[in-house]
Amino acid sequence: MSEIEIAPAAVAQAHASAPGRERLVLGLIGTLAFLVIWEAAARLDLINPVVVSNPSRIAEAFVAQLQSGAIFADLRVSLIEFAVGFALSLAVGIGLGIAMGLNRLTEYAIDPFVWFLYSSPLIAFYPLIVVWLGFGFTTVVAVTFLLSFVSVVVNTVAGVQSVDPQLVRAVRAFGGSRLDVIRKVILPAAVPMIIAGMRIGLGRALHGVVLGEMFSSNAGLGYRITFYAAHLRTADVFVPLVILVVIGLVINQLGNMLEARLQAWRGV
Amino acid sequence: MAIATELPAEAAQPRRSLVSARTAVGVAAVALFLAAWQIVGANEIVRSDLISYPSEVAQTLIQMAASGELGANAIVSLQEFLQGFIPAILIGVAAGTAFGLSARLHALFEPLIVMLNTSPIIAFVPVVVVWFGVGTQSKAIMVFLAAVIPIVINTVTGITEVHESWVRACRAFGAKQPQVIAKAILPGALPAVMVGIRLSVGRAVVGLIAAEMYVSVRGIGRLIQVYSTSDRAAEIFVLVTVVSSFGFLMVTLLRRIETWLAPWSLER
Repeated sequence: MSEIEIAPAAVAQAHASAPGRERLVLGLIGTLAFLVIWEAAARLDLINPVVVSNPSRIAEAFVAQLQSGAIFADLRVSLIEFAVGFALSLAVGIGLGIAMGLNRLTEYAIDPFVWFLYSSPLIAFYPLIVVWLGFGFTTVVAVTFLLSFVSVVVNTVAGVQSVDPQLVRAVRAFGGSRLDVIRKVILPAAVPMIIAGMRIGLGRALHGVVLGEMFSSNAGLGYRITFYAAHLRTADVFVPLVILVVIGLVINQLGNMLEARLQAWRGV
Repeated sequence: MAIATELPAEAAQPRRSLVSARTAVGVAAVALFLAAWQIVGANEIVRSDLISYPSEVAQTLIQMAASGELGANAIVSLQEFLQGFIPAILIGVAAGTAFGLSARLHALFEPLIVMLNTSPIIAFVPVVVVWFGVGTQSKAIMVFLAAVIPIVINTVTGITEVHESWVRACRAFGAKQPQVIAKAILPGALPAVMVGIRLSVGRAVVGLIAAEMYVSVRGIGRLIQVYSTSDRAAEIFVLVTVVSSFGFLMVTLLRRIETWLAPWSLER
């Protein structure tokens, strides 16, 4: 058994003891201090600015790459791969998760494979995936799918199984069909867990895009990072890297909003 | 109410037989899968250099182990892992404790923590390699970066969620702040800390393998990269198995340490 990552995403928000305003200001101060120390270290030649780079060089590289527009092509490739891979993982993950949640035999039969995918470092499989699917888009989408769909499956199964059996019996007792049970009871009850799985899946999908692009693509933000690094253009490396970090933050924020929405809808 | 009390008793009966049904069906499904894989691969129904087959994988494992190739590279990877993972535990727990005790300090570093937590960590591999070289140091740094964040986050949560009553009980008997920390807060946080450490194993392994695959002289990731161009799938399956087993063993070991170190964590 490996770990089901459900807790950590919500955990970052748990520290509510500092008031919001103060927390924001302190966070800003901390980040600025980090950048200032980095810049100063480079200016004072404590670190080699060409190899390590520094915030002002990175800012220049940012402006240059935005003006040339090349980075937008990579961003577009990455976002498309991300969207296709994640959409596939939702479709397959929720479908398979419901099938496994409803039917014990299916669950028992598929469970070992799901756990293997979940706990094995899929990165090590990438050479095989490249051999099977070729270099580029398909492989990146496949890696993205494989990384994210497992968390959707695991959470959907847990959600379906958490349904109160009395509700199911009530619907059946009043003449509801199996389909009615799925539509009216199981799906609504499983939604919170499915969303939790989606949240984790989103983060893992982004990981998959970067992984696929770094090792088997010639386009996208992940590829661009390795390209600039191979040319030792450290400041340029940070442009796609920072964009990826921002995408990660945006995804996390979207997840937070989705969950808040959901809790409001459920009246919790 | 009568129905509610009836349910658990009813559920308790079939549960015992269900556990074995789960194992039986799971084992049967895996055996079926391996048999099908063996037949398809060994008879070249699908080209075996693309998918290999179980007996070839087992033979290859024995060969690679006997030639010393596996052992020599595994030792390098293990050293890199420990060089990053042990500092990650020490620094992660220390920083997490400080952040947990001081909300202001935590707020200063929060943006950096959230950023590292939500971004795809392997995107940092090229930068870390440019900064710290192609040798073992950059791998240890990647392990550290990947592992330290879940440890910090879980330590903070553990500390902030220690039962208020434990702290008050200590104070009531005249304990000073250092005693409260040593006797109530740290033991109370230990289960959450251990979960963080276990969660970070998977991330650390991925960081390590990605860094070794990106560029390295020796190590399991290096082997994966070498064999990815060899037109043979068996070696890749062997290496995947080795890496997965390592993660599994680490998590099992950590669970053992947890029950020995913090037997009270079972009460949660």
